[in-house]
Amino acid sequence: MTRETEYAIEVDRLTKRYGDFPAVNDISFSVSKGEVFAFLGPNGAGKTSTVEIIETIRMPTSGKVTLLGMDVTKKKHEIVHRIGVLPQAFSSFDRITVRETLQYYSRLFSVKTDLDGLIELVNLGDKTKEQYKNLSGGLKQRLGIAIALVNDPEVVFLDEPTTGLDPLARHEVWEVLLGLKKKGKTVFLTTHYMEEAELLADTVAIISKGKIIAMGSPGELIEDNANYLALTLRSVDEKVLEIVQKLGFGTVPDKHKNIRIRVEQTYDVQKILQAIKDAGARYRSLDVRRPNLEEVFLKLTGEALREELPEMEAE
Amino acid sequence: MNVRIISANLVVKLLSFYREKTTMFFTFAFPIILILVFGTIFMSQDSMEYRLSVQDLDQTNSSAESIKTLAKKGKFKITSVDPAVDAVQYVRDSKVNLLLVVPRGYAASLMQRIIFNDYSSSVTITYVYDPSSSSVQTKMQILNAALAGINQGMSGRAPFIRSAEKSILTKKYRFIEFFVPGIIAMSIMTMSLFGTVDSDTELRQKGVIRKLSTTPITRTDWILSNVLYQFILAVISTLAMLLVSYAVFDVNLHIDAWLPVFILLDVFAFVGTGMILTRFVKEAQSAAAASNAISYPMMFLAGSFFPIELMPGLLQTIAKKLPLYYVNEGLRASMVFEDNMAALRSAAIIGVYAAVVFILGIMATKWEENQ
Ligand SMILES: Nc1ncnc2c1ncn2[C@@H]1O[C@H](COP(=O)(O)OP(=O)(O)OP(=O)(O)O)[C@@H](O)[C@H]1O
Ligand SMILES: [Mg+2]
Repeated sequence: MTRETEYAIEVDRLTKRYGDFPAVNDISFSVSKGEVFAFLGPNGAGKTSTVEIIETIRMPTSGKVTLLGMDVTKKKHEIVHRIGVLPQAFSSFDRITVRETLQYYSRLFSVKTDLDGLIELVNLGDKTKEQYKNLSGGLKQRLGIAIALVNDPEVVFLDEPTTGLDPLARHEVWEVLLGLKKKGKTVFLTTHYMEEAELLADTVAIISKGKIIAMGSPGELIEDNANYLALTLRSVDEKVLEIVQKLGFGTVPDKHKNIRIRVEQTYDVQKILQAIKDAGARYRSLDVRRPNLEEVFLKLTGEALREELPEMEAE
Repeated sequence: MNVRIISANLVVKLLSFYREKTTMFFTFAFPIILILVFGTIFMSQDSMEYRLSVQDLDQTNSSAESIKTLAKKGKFKITSVDPAVDAVQYVRDSKVNLLLVVPRGYAASLMQRIIFNDYSSSVTITYVYDPSSSSVQTKMQILNAALAGINQGMSGRAPFIRSAEKSILTKKYRFIEFFVPGIIAMSIMTMSLFGTVDSDTELRQKGVIRKLSTTPITRTDWILSNVLYQFILAVISTLAMLLVSYAVFDVNLHIDAWLPVFILLDVFAFVGTGMILTRFVKEAQSAAAASNAISYPMMFLAGSFFPIELMPGLLQTIAKKLPLYYVNEGLRASMVFEDNMAALRSAAIIGVYAAVVFILGIMATKWEENQ
């Protein structure tokens, strides 16, 4: 029995325990048809546990999960034909070429696949005869995405599609995913890269320790949780910190002689720079930016999304 | 069960195997090398012609004639030794384990007996031998029998007691003909066991199985395609072994419908065993160790290389509990002894084992990570 709904996925009070440990703790959300939905969270947050329950390959401890109107614990055989999955740390048969691999998965679904179109979509045209084991990490992921699409699925799940890739390869995967978004597929993405969520997602759910702590469009999340500007001054001399603190702004110094200052409006930036100039203090460079999901996450959980600080990433 | 899915899987497995050239080489070449090596080592034992060194001190026509008769009766190939050398020293120095010494005066004594009917006239032929050699006893027995025959002939009377030979085996077989079926059974066992355990643990570890569990392929399709794949490899490998055995050793083996039956049962039994093992080993390395722990004792105890009758009683009892023993027995019953009843008995036993293990294997195979 398929119920027609506007939602591709509905998750209601889902809990998943391993022994006593609640990896997913009573979460609810829904994903509309045609939207790109991102689960953003650090390692061990419960992303994979949630996704794989929706994909029918893990059993929920409690709660109700509905995919395209079907209960995921009961309709596995129908569901697998209508979803496409790129599992976390995806891997395939070493000695099988790109085209053969796609052919293989296409046969598993007993469907006619436009292999050439698919190969073009993930931009693997000149690698079709290459064996899987000879592909670079980025190419492997792109093949994995193509495999997830062989059955022309209604909902596509991508579990950390760019983890472990270098920045260039990551951007190439993003290109592919933007193409997918343009085609209007419903995509469920998990990631711990906020740029990825910000770039691709219509809706982001921030998940930490098995709980969804915020959900909305990237713009809304920033608006609601980090409505301020971040001014960073680099390689400052000792006096600067003193001057800024005297003006009454919150500061975060680091060991590289950089300080980050939270300001409410552009006028504050002028005020600070003027004061530094008047005192004859120095800094090497500065930048001002709107906070991103990284700061939102930091604010909501008190923890960094990843080990590195966001500034380091930007450099 | 979905034939398209099974054949898609089979294609991927066969292509992967074909492209992994070293694995392919060793899979097929190893049993053939075993056959070539052991076949060559035991070839001399199979040819029933013994070499015999003879020192003729008499150097007459009639002594030479008698030696020739002896050679013919005992199927010996004669090497003449110079009458001037010291017999004992000769045996000690050369690699020869037995030297027959025909005494001087042989012709004269023979004449005395035949022409003058002097029945007290006799000659003594001396065996100079090395008792540390294992085959010398057999050689001496053959010689004794040949000499008795000659004596009997000379007496001119028909013997009262004759003997006839009747082997309990329907036909005589050579070592290599015993060996080849054992190697066929053994290599199918190792291929099926290692193939299943290795590929399943590797694919599980790499997450390919997890990906597959989000597609329409079922556990049954997956298992059936593996059985089919292992069966195809087993058939190719068996054909290669038989081809080499015929070409190099001119074996006399009977091939009938039992051969594919036993190949299939061997495959089912050990793919099943492999699936059960896969359940308990998580990493590729321990997988190889576990397969070894099962296959090695089986190889040596179940009579792959030599008849289990050569082993102490306790080990024979153990051997009869091993599945590989019945594949060996069955293959030999059909290929060497052409004994259909014996083949059927073995097929029934290994068939029951294969069915039980295979069903347990199916139950042990986890597909979804439904935890
Ligand atoms: N099969 C399992 N058995 C026991 N614990 C598990 C199992 N799978 C996951 N966990 C635990 O549940 C928690 C959530 O894991 P999960 O894989 O869902 O997180 P994640 O957000 O996908 O993390 P990552 O970014 O590392 O992939 C982790 O603490 C993990 O150790
Ligand atoms: Mg994960």
